[in-house]
Amino acid sequence: MMSTVTSDTQLMATRTVVPPARRRVFTLKRFTTPIVVVVILAVLLWWVSSLELDSIEQRTLNWDYITLRIGEHLSLTVVASALVAVLAIPLGVATAKSPSKVFRAIVLALANIGQATPAVGVVILLAILWQTGYTTALVALVIYAFLPVLRNTMIGIDQVDANVRESARGMGMTPAQVLMRIELPLAVPVILAGLRTALVFCVGVATIATFINAGGLGDMIVNGLKLQRYPVLVVGAVLVACIALLIDWVAGFIEDIVTPRGL
Amino acid sequence: MNGFDLQGLLTFWSRRWDDILELALQHIAVVALSVLLATVIGVLIGIAVWNRPVPRSLTIAAAGVALTIPSLALLALITPVFGLGWTPTVISLIFYSLLPIVRNTVVGLREVSPAIMESAKGMGMSPAKILFAIQLPIAWPIILTGVRVAAQLTIGIAAIAAYVAGPGLGQFIFQGLSSLGSKNALNFALSGTLGVVILALLVDGAFVLITRLTTSRGLRV
Amino acid sequence: MSDSTATRAATGAASAGSTPGGVGITLDKVTKIYAGQGAPAVDDFSMSVQPGELVMFVGPSGCGKTTTMKMINRIIEPTSGSIAIDGRDVLSLNPNELRRHIGYVIQQIGLFPHMTIAENIAVVPRLLGWGKQKIADRVDELLNTVQLDPGTFAARYPKQLSGGQQQRVGVARALAADPPVMLMDEPFGATDPITREKLQAEFLRLQESIGKTIIFVTHDFDEAIRLGDRIAVLSDRSQIEQFDTPANILSAPANDYVRSFIGQGAALKRLALIPIADATLSAVTGVKNAPTVAADATLRDALDALVLAGLPAIDVVGGDGRAVGSITVDAISAVLGAELPGVPPAGA
Repeated sequence: MMSTVTSDTQLMATRTVVPPARRRVFTLKRFTTPIVVVVILAVLLWWVSSLELDSIEQRTLNWDYITLRIGEHLSLTVVASALVAVLAIPLGVATAKSPSKVFRAIVLALANIGQATPAVGVVILLAILWQTGYTTALVALVIYAFLPVLRNTMIGIDQVDANVRESARGMGMTPAQVLMRIELPLAVPVILAGLRTALVFCVGVATIATFINAGGLGDMIVNGLKLQRYPVLVVGAVLVACIALLIDWVAGFIEDIVTPRGL
Repeated sequence: MNGFDLQGLLTFWSRRWDDILELALQHIAVVALSVLLATVIGVLIGIAVWNRPVPRSLTIAAAGVALTIPSLALLALITPVFGLGWTPTVISLIFYSLLPIVRNTVVGLREVSPAIMESAKGMGMSPAKILFAIQLPIAWPIILTGVRVAAQLTIGIAAIAAYVAGPGLGQFIFQGLSSLGSKNALNFALSGTLGVVILALLVDGAFVLITRLTTSRGLRV
Repeated sequence: MSDSTATRAATGAASAGSTPGGVGITLDKVTKIYAGQGAPAVDDFSMSVQPGELVMFVGPSGCGKTTTMKMINRIIEPTSGSIAIDGRDVLSLNPNELRRHIGYVIQQIGLFPHMTIAENIAVVPRLLGWGKQKIADRVDELLNTVQLDPGTFAARYPKQLSGGQQQRVGVARALAADPPVMLMDEPFGATDPITREKLQAEFLRLQESIGKTIIFVTHDFDEAIRLGDRIAVLSDRSQIEQFDTPANILSAPANDYVRSFIGQGAALKRLALIPIADATLSAVTGVKNAPTVAADATLRDALDALVLAGLPAIDVVGGDGRAVGSITVDAISAVLGAELPGVPPAGA
């Protein structure tokens, strides 16, 4: 098996693990994504308002219904991500600093299996074993988004240059101080990249939450498909895609702002 | 709600093992086909843009967008056009696979050291020859990692594709959902999910093997 | 080794008759201007290199010596001027074809990590379409030439070799297709001084037998003196301050810039290039058990022995072990051109 960190690092080629070396400037380029999203939404709105909607579609394609679904979707996403951050980051730190190789291996193995598990499987299994609804969906999201944050936290702490660590200890810092003042700040970009991935995962899995009555925009997609109402399906799908893009963009923005200067 | 009945699960497996196997094979097939196509397309795109900053960042941004869109949304969006079953599944899977592959191809090609590039040029190799004889072999492990990531992604997404009648173990998972409350619901869902997990682990292992076999000994760390 | 240095210095170029391995290079008013920069990187550079000659380009970082060299194989394209190899205009040839007939060695070597040593060396011969057997034989031959046992090294990968060994493979690779011209950009720069010393010695020995036309860029003046048939001392914009044999540069530096390169101990450096045979020997001293110096050594070795012995004269011993004369400090000084009473000037 290739060294875990190497394969992990390379595996993270999916999302940026390498700290972004961007300048924090309010340029036009930075706002490309939101602008594109706004344009898409405008086109969508224009298209829908030009359609003759039948009664079924009208029940779905109105502001109340849509805002409710968006609210559910965002709630799931944000709460789950917050939980993941609170749980996975400390565990990641503990694992990275743990002297026990066995512990590390077990944690990573479990996390790997977690990632290999399909989100839809986790959601439906939990629903069968336990109950359907919001809480179950939340738990499923947390399980699924756990790995990127855990792994990135570990890598982030590990990749702090040994020389930096050594000179910090040489100055007389305790291990705890080294952690809080040196390692964590240096690991922040990588951890944030993991959180960003987790957020995007959560938006995606929250879409599937519709299958277990947890609400969210997935409802529109599934209804649209089931009832063969194309406009409903399109609106649901485009909306959730836009939300995903916007959340990813906001996360990227925050990443840049929070990254310590000099990195 | 339902308790876990091991005996029932084993009986289920003994009766349904051929179904499970068939679905597993379908699952692998659709993933393999999609990843293979995505590799060809992705590496070609990577070769086309690795050297050109503007097309390069545009391409990677576009591929990144694809990865951000929730899979159910994408699948649903293309069904009106492509129908149900294999076609929308393969198309979506290719879409999702492109980012890791394109990005890793670009990174791999760019990371070949300038000294190597210059000595190759100084020896009289044309840019095309340098690309195929020097850069691609050296970048190969990195590209292969991108393919591996893509494979892992698509194994999971293929499970969702069952909702639009896509092939594979996802069908069992959704059957578990639709038979919620019956005694076999758990067995269906569990079998489907476990099957996907096992497939993912097997495929990952296969990739480690393939990487080792196809990487030049001079490059292995 | 020391006598080969002496012989070369005396003649000023590899004896073209013995092993005609190279062709002439002519640069005529070559200029390179980079867009957006006011001053040219290389300004009106003209030089004529004889077949089989080893020309050193010496100068500080940024003076344009590497840029000039890289225009010969068109890694960098000249802005104006012409370059001819063996009379043929380089700019009219297909660049890839051109480069397959020029050996190219750079400081970081650039061995291809995914190929074995044998495959690395075989690259240009393959590009030229050589047959498999011919290539295999050539690989073995070259590895032996650079003193790496083919049985051990041919199947290894670059990462398994030390820095010095990789450098040797780099040189072997450049020689693979037997090109008449070689361009070398600080090829020994990335090695430690001990390894570099060995590589230089081997390189001299190699050049003795293959006699290629070589442009060798270095910032190390001592290396230039040791290796070169002629040295071009370059300043900003690749201006030629002096282009002459090492001996001539050392004895008559053209200006202060060149003098600053020579640094201290110019006379001693000159002595290292001159064989004892050039000095007028006195009668054998006949002193028993005193240090002696070999007849094929350089004047510097003689001076070294004299200083150590503390004697006014020491015997010079021929190949058969018998003294053929003795040498004094005065005689050594006379060779350098000093006029001393009682000592006939050198060459008389």
